[in-house]
Amino acid sequence: MSLGAIDELRAGFEQPFWALGRDVASDGRTVVVSWPSVPVELVRAAGLAPIFARGRNAPTPTAHGVLEPDLFPNRLRQLVDAGLTGRLAGVAAVVLPRSSDPDYKCFLYLRELARLGTAAELPPVLLFDLLHADSPDARAYNADRARSLYADLASLAGQPRGDDELRGAVASANRARTAARRVQALRAGAPRLSGVDALPSLGAFLQLEPERYAALADAAADSLAHRAPLEAPRVLVAGEPVDGAALHAAIEAEGAVVVAELSPFGACGTETDIDSSGDPFAALAAHYERVIDARLPVGALMQRLDAALVSADAVVISLPPDDASFGWDYPRYRELLARHAVPHAVVHGDPAGSLTPSDRGRIQSLLDDARARREAARVY
Amino acid sequence: MSTKQFESTLAAAAFQKQWFGELRRRVFDERRPYALIQADVPFELFDLTDIPAVSNQWWSSIVAAKRQAPAFLSAMAADGIPGPLCRYCSLGLATTRYPKAGDAPWGGLPTPRLLCARLTCDCIHRVFSLWADAFGAELYEIEHPAASELPPKWWELTRHRWRELIEPHRLDFVAGSLERLIEKLESIGERRLDRAALRERLERVNRQEEIFDAARKLIASAPVTPVRMTEQIANVMATQWVRGTDWAIAHAQHFHDELRARRLGRRRVCENEKARLMWVGAGLWHDTDFYSAFEKSHGAVFVWSMYLAFGPDAYIRYGLDDPLAALASRTATFNEFLHNPPWAAEWTVAQALEHRIDAALVLHPKSMKPSAMGRFFIERALERAGIPVLRVEADVVDALAWDPAAARKAVAAFLEERVLE
Repeated sequence: MSLGAIDELRAGFEQPFWALGRDVASDGRTVVVSWPSVPVELVRAAGLAPIFARGRNAPTPTAHGVLEPDLFPNRLRQLVDAGLTGRLAGVAAVVLPRSSDPDYKCFLYLRELARLGTAAELPPVLLFDLLHADSPDARAYNADRARSLYADLASLAGQPRGDDELRGAVASANRARTAARRVQALRAGAPRLSGVDALPSLGAFLQLEPERYAALADAAADSLAHRAPLEAPRVLVAGEPVDGAALHAAIEAEGAVVVAELSPFGACGTETDIDSSGDPFAALAAHYERVIDARLPVGALMQRLDAALVSADAVVISLPPDDASFGWDYPRYRELLARHAVPHAVVHGDPAGSLTPSDRGRIQSLLDDARARREAARVY
Repeated sequence: MSTKQFESTLAAAAFQKQWFGELRRRVFDERRPYALIQADVPFELFDLTDIPAVSNQWWSSIVAAKRQAPAFLSAMAADGIPGPLCRYCSLGLATTRYPKAGDAPWGGLPTPRLLCARLTCDCIHRVFSLWADAFGAELYEIEHPAASELPPKWWELTRHRWRELIEPHRLDFVAGSLERLIEKLESIGERRLDRAALRERLERVNRQEEIFDAARKLIASAPVTPVRMTEQIANVMATQWVRGTDWAIAHAQHFHDELRARRLGRRRVCENEKARLMWVGAGLWHDTDFYSAFEKSHGAVFVWSMYLAFGPDAYIRYGLDDPLAALASRTATFNEFLHNPPWAAEWTVAQALEHRIDAALVLHPKSMKPSAMGRFFIERALERAGIPVLRVEADVVDALAWDPAAARKAVAAFLEERVLE
């Protein structure tokens, strides 16, 4: 059952974005989202289904003509390429959160391309703007933005929706989060599943219908709990958050196991539930404001890194050419990792592509170091 | 270095050096506070609460112009901070974090009482956090709510219809943020902000920018270019950091009058003017001679950069019954004007047409990622308007990433093949 469940979870994570454009009827009930800083509960409560743009090792020739090189991550290149080639023509909307400059600029680009007639088949393109300031003004602003997005999506879906539907969606998502946390727990200590299985199993939370996700994740966790632990250096993936398992696969091909990633698609996506007993919009905004993205305050990010280090023998920090934010954290990373005596390596290739030879060399050296430290710890 | 053709340019440079010396004296001798802030933070609020403010971008440009940037940036790279990250906003940080790496101009930055930045680009929070740590000083951040509606021809709305420029929820939030900033400044300084004085200051800023608007019109309509772009920048930027003060208004007038006299006297930058160029993007502070390098060889003169034109179009606000709301409307829209589609592209084209531009050089500052975005839109809009474009890849402060000879050769070829043919 576990393999079947994981396969289905993987399919629920990997396939939806690439399937867009094939079935107009099902596309019409979907909303394409560029980063998980948009509450999936809002989308579902509006009667729509979220699908996330994802990077992969495939060219984007159409996007190449409108996106300046080295500024946009792979996932946004794929999104713009899909928009310009008509693959998004049938979806209900595209929602871009202001989770990074590239996401925000992508929103402006798509709007402008539609205005200029370059992307004539685009659906409505919406912005979701969450601020990170810890102030009453910012919290009120964020709750209003959530309320506004809900109204926009419900309008596009053509059905009036209220707070009860939203609270129901939050409750369903919380049940799915509980199941996801069971999967993540199996990566702690002596890991029972690889990173290439874990990340899609966790990331599917964002796209699968919550009850189905919970059933599959529970089944996977039940079965995996009896597996023998994987004996390999345990790696944490940090830096610019990954949106897929390609980097995990490359690391694990060198004989390691990725046990966590600072990414809302993986270990950090389902850590806590949402309490919607009060104002559900305020609760959603407060929850999603803490999602890891390029605008998350560095103090909060370092806390997540500190907590995740418990299970890691080594850290791979991904800082691809498009990164404008996470590289600034490197001095803090280095200091924290030195304090924990955890070795690290920095890689600069596209995490959605294949490793460069120099990145592979750095990872191999890192894992050699981690193995030597594990061996020394075992001896002493 | 090209000879200065304007007395006001020399006066502006002298003023800045003297102002910075006075700042250091106040900080060291009198233990008075000062603030280190991003260029898009409203300086008026600091001045009116008696807290002098130093612009991060101004300081970066000075360090770069003094040829000190490579040393500090190399130290930052050696510290593991990746090269492709923004150098313009972080060069000042490098002068503080690695003080022994180079020779910071004029004795370097003293420790500020406060660092203040609007959270526009992703890197700002990171850079200023590191900088505040390096100084052991307080950081005050101003959130930047994002625009989702950008009405066309923004420059026709800014003066009288500025409330239409910005969504009400954003205007309210930014005005509230400025209220919080005022509370912070009042807690640091010894002076409370007088709202009547704020209104008066904004009226004086309007006056200053009206003078620059007149200067811009003189340049745009002149048969031949009377003032180098670099001298426009020097005069405009020296006043922008102290805008609305007596000196700033007087200096703006001095520049304008000198410009008018040169135009009336038919004095020109270049005897053989054949092509009028525009520079789109921040200035190449490490190689400002680049902007006069094609005058003798090709009769090509840089006529326009954003620095002079931006003030009149972006700063002036009439109808100051609620001065804080007016200031908020300016503050909130800054980045959109210069970088974001459709605003940046349509303004650039309008300016090119007004200035009878023959060709544009568009900077692609790869390390300044948000500023490097939207460039394709600008280039295509210019080309659609019949203005040939040359793309220039460079960093505005990092001379190590710049080959002056190759750049000049590329521009010469562009002029010969597409502009002067």
